[in-house]
Amino acid sequence: MLFLLLLIPLAASLLFWTVKSNRKVINIINISGTSALFAVSLFILKEVLEHGKITSNALGGIFYIDAFNGLILFTTTLVTLLVSIYSTGYMNTEYDRNIVNHSSFRLYYSLLHLFIFTMILTTITQNIGLMWISIEATTLASAFLVGFYNNKKSIEAAWKYIIICSVGIAFALLGIVLLYYSAFNSLGNTLQCLNWQFLNDNAGTLHANVLKIAFIFVVIGFGTKVGLAPMHTWLPDAHSQAPSPISALLSGVLLNTAMYGIIRVMTIVNKNAGNSLFTGRLMIILGLLSVGFAAIFILVQKDFKRILAYSSIEHMGIIALGFGISSALSIFASLFHIINHSLTKSMLFAASGNVYLKYDTKKISKINGIIKVMPVTGTVFLLGLFAITGMPPFSIFTSELGITIAAFKEAKYLAAGLLLLFLTLIFAGFTSQMLGMFFGKPHKDHGIGELNRITPVVLLIILAIIAVTGLYLPPFLEKLINSARDIILQV
Amino acid sequence: MPGTFLNIMLQLIVVLIAAPLVNGIIRKIKSTIQHRKGLPVLQMYFDLFKLFRKDMVISENASWIFTASPYIFFVSVLTAFIFVPVVPQFFSFGFTGDAILVVYLLALGRFFLTLAALDTGSTFGGMGSSRELMISSLIEPSLIIIIFTLGLSSEAVSTSFQSIYSVAGSLGTGILSPVYLLLFAAIFIVIIAETSRIPVDDPATHLELTMVHEAMILEYSGRYLALMEYGASLKQLLLITIAANVFLPFGGNLVPELGFLIPVLIYLAKVLIITVMIALIEINTVKLRLFSVPNLAAIAFILALIGFMSGYLFGR
Amino acid sequence: MEEIAKILNIISICILISTFSLVASKRILSYLNAFRIQSILLAAVAAIYSVYYLVAEGKLEGIIIIFFMTVALKVIYIPKMLKKISLRVEYKVEKDFFINIPISIIICCGLVVLTWFTVSKIPLMNNGYNGIFLVQSVSVILMGLFFMISRKKAIGQIIGLLVIENGTFLTAMLLTSGMPMIVEFGIFFDLLTAVLILGIFVFRINETFEHIDINKLRNLRG
Repeated sequence: MLFLLLLIPLAASLLFWTVKSNRKVINIINISGTSALFAVSLFILKEVLEHGKITSNALGGIFYIDAFNGLILFTTTLVTLLVSIYSTGYMNTEYDRNIVNHSSFRLYYSLLHLFIFTMILTTITQNIGLMWISIEATTLASAFLVGFYNNKKSIEAAWKYIIICSVGIAFALLGIVLLYYSAFNSLGNTLQCLNWQFLNDNAGTLHANVLKIAFIFVVIGFGTKVGLAPMHTWLPDAHSQAPSPISALLSGVLLNTAMYGIIRVMTIVNKNAGNSLFTGRLMIILGLLSVGFAAIFILVQKDFKRILAYSSIEHMGIIALGFGISSALSIFASLFHIINHSLTKSMLFAASGNVYLKYDTKKISKINGIIKVMPVTGTVFLLGLFAITGMPPFSIFTSELGITIAAFKEAKYLAAGLLLLFLTLIFAGFTSQMLGMFFGKPHKDHGIGELNRITPVVLLIILAIIAVTGLYLPPFLEKLINSARDIILQV
Repeated sequence: MPGTFLNIMLQLIVVLIAAPLVNGIIRKIKSTIQHRKGLPVLQMYFDLFKLFRKDMVISENASWIFTASPYIFFVSVLTAFIFVPVVPQFFSFGFTGDAILVVYLLALGRFFLTLAALDTGSTFGGMGSSRELMISSLIEPSLIIIIFTLGLSSEAVSTSFQSIYSVAGSLGTGILSPVYLLLFAAIFIVIIAETSRIPVDDPATHLELTMVHEAMILEYSGRYLALMEYGASLKQLLLITIAANVFLPFGGNLVPELGFLIPVLIYLAKVLIITVMIALIEINTVKLRLFSVPNLAAIAFILALIGFMSGYLFGR
Repeated sequence: MEEIAKILNIISICILISTFSLVASKRILSYLNAFRIQSILLAAVAAIYSVYYLVAEGKLEGIIIIFFMTVALKVIYIPKMLKKISLRVEYKVEKDFFINIPISIIICCGLVVLTWFTVSKIPLMNNGYNGIFLVQSVSVILMGLFFMISRKKAIGQIIGLLVIENGTFLTAMLLTSGMPMIVEFGIFFDLLTAVLILGIFVFRINETFEHIDINKLRNLRG
């Protein structure tokens, strides 16, 4: 069952090159691949909820899914399914307008599924070395996707993306080597030494000081991939220059997988130290820095996709803050926030993709009257903006509220105060910059109506999900998040 | 006391005889590899002999510095040689810090050399002086660090050459440790820079663009030129002696019945090894652009610094 | 282990020196040569470990495969590919620098001192050969990082990245005598793919911008 998860995207990626070059066939392979993936992940989720975890002894026990894993896997496959449906619509429009030719079309989908494969590989493994390898592979697989349009800005964004992420990941490798070294002396020289379960069970015997230094390097390294400040400089460029479905995947899914890597190492360090003071302090500082940087930069943006990218930095900072505070409530809220952010951000990027295709520009000042020109997209985009800045009844409000309450409860008043201040600034920035886009008369005559029929459906589905989960958490989801929280808190 | 005096005299005689030979060997190796016949190995002796008998032409604008400098230069280098042991049998005169004294005696000689070059008022002299001072000021920190590191490694923790040599002698094959390898590389670069060899300065050129040491002695002729050249070759032998005796520490006390004879021959063999290395470097590299010399100096500096760190910081 | 520790110490100091000579170079071909020497020394470390395990424990460990892969990839293939790229974008000598060479050498020296200072503060780590190895390998990593940020051209950044990976690899070898095989393979293939993709991007940058000066890529700001 686990291997199906890996085989499906890999097979789909290769299948694109072997079948006849027909647009309809490519779209069918795309959607069937991701829906099969989602179905398999639902099966796996059911098993995890019943049995607690799934392990497999292949290749030295490196594949392993427990509740935390399962949560990230579920989010990944759900968002991937929705984004790939959206991508069909988006790419079809671009193909019709001859912006992409046929071989680029095929290359795009093939790389997309390869990218999905590497992300799935990250989420289903417990071996930290293999996690590193697959995170580096995600950078390489998405490099060409970011630079897909091959103009000056895309190439610059893609170069920055690869270089900064590779440097960060190299530092994470140093951290992993030090982690292995701390286990090496007491636990021996096998592949098991990098498996999370094994390390977690024997966390007491690891060498404490080396483990702390390893954690710092891992946070800096994987934090570059997550987009925590001050390592976030690649993120606005890469996420704004990529095609919109890719931006949605990068923001919605990839940042989660890197955060997953950090949290796995964090649990080991916490168990070794007995408390979460050291890791918590580091995560809180990085989280607050990220939210602060995002707040400052959002106030001066001129490009709407860049604002959404900075908002990703902000939300990853909030998630890091939640994990740093390390109480039951805050970790629950952070895990919930991961799901909410993925869904909301992909919805926003999808809507922004529609706007870009209609108006042919990314500059805010040149866009007017979205609600009139594209009613569905406009409404969803507007509601999404409010959702992402934390307005009820959407789900992001619930999780942000949870983190703030937890901060106050744990007597971290300064952190909570700064968080609220930055969130207010971000809300102000968003509304002042972006509200003007929706109303008024459009500058040019773009033709009323949506681009195609597929994209508004996807947008409406995601809007419904985030509206409902803000008020009512389905029991299976609640059980999943609770189990994941227990794994992280080691109770 | 008479024994000490005799030892010092013997040491100086050995050194005075051996110094021009080093130049000759380097030149011979170069010309052999370049498939030329080249000058004979003993050529420098003949040159010095000829120069001592020739007339001198002195500029009208020169002051006493011009006439005194050759003597000061020669005597300072010779004095420095008193403190550098050539073979252990000759050596009974040393005190703490004499290594630093040696470095500063060499600096005294160089100071007067540069002043004398400026003294005649010719442009070549001024240019040579400024270049020489730039190069030497960049190289000197490396030399100091090398000497301090070597001094720290002796049990008495003193910067006297005697204790440095005794420590090196007791190491045997331990001389292949990282500290000594790095210091050897560093001191090799220092030797090349101080003796004005390629790649820092070409000793056989008289082009305005490329000469440094030659520019400073351009105005000298006759006896003064002989003293300058002799002094330069003594300085070269001094630095090679330091490198050879510390980094190739063997055979100091062989065959004690014959007195100092065998050790002196072994010493000459060690000097020959280092000379051949210098000659090979000189053949295989080109002269660096003047503003690239700081790069080489920086490399010597960090080699010395890392040698110091790997000996004294990493281990403690 | 103690017997080979001395030889490993000398080799790792030579690797440190080769990294210094990398920072001190101005020409692409000398960067590549310094990188090659560094990789040969790294392969020598792997070879020494495999010989040691062969002699001491009588079995052939997986480290010998790492030796072959290092030689094949880092000594032969990657420098050849980078040389081809640099010839095609017609870039041979770096003419202007942010920081001139003597000062950057001194900064690198400062990095080594900083690393030593930090490692000496960690208890249980700052005695014996482990501390020395950690200082040397982390210095190589930091110098690779410094090299990357002090060069203006794209190829310099690729080589800086490769030096960082070399340093991490050296840390793994010296501290733990190699990571598990699967992880090592994965790292090698990731590295190879990364260099290939970066090479393709250098071409694309050259085609689009007509130069490979990273400092001039300033379209995306804020």
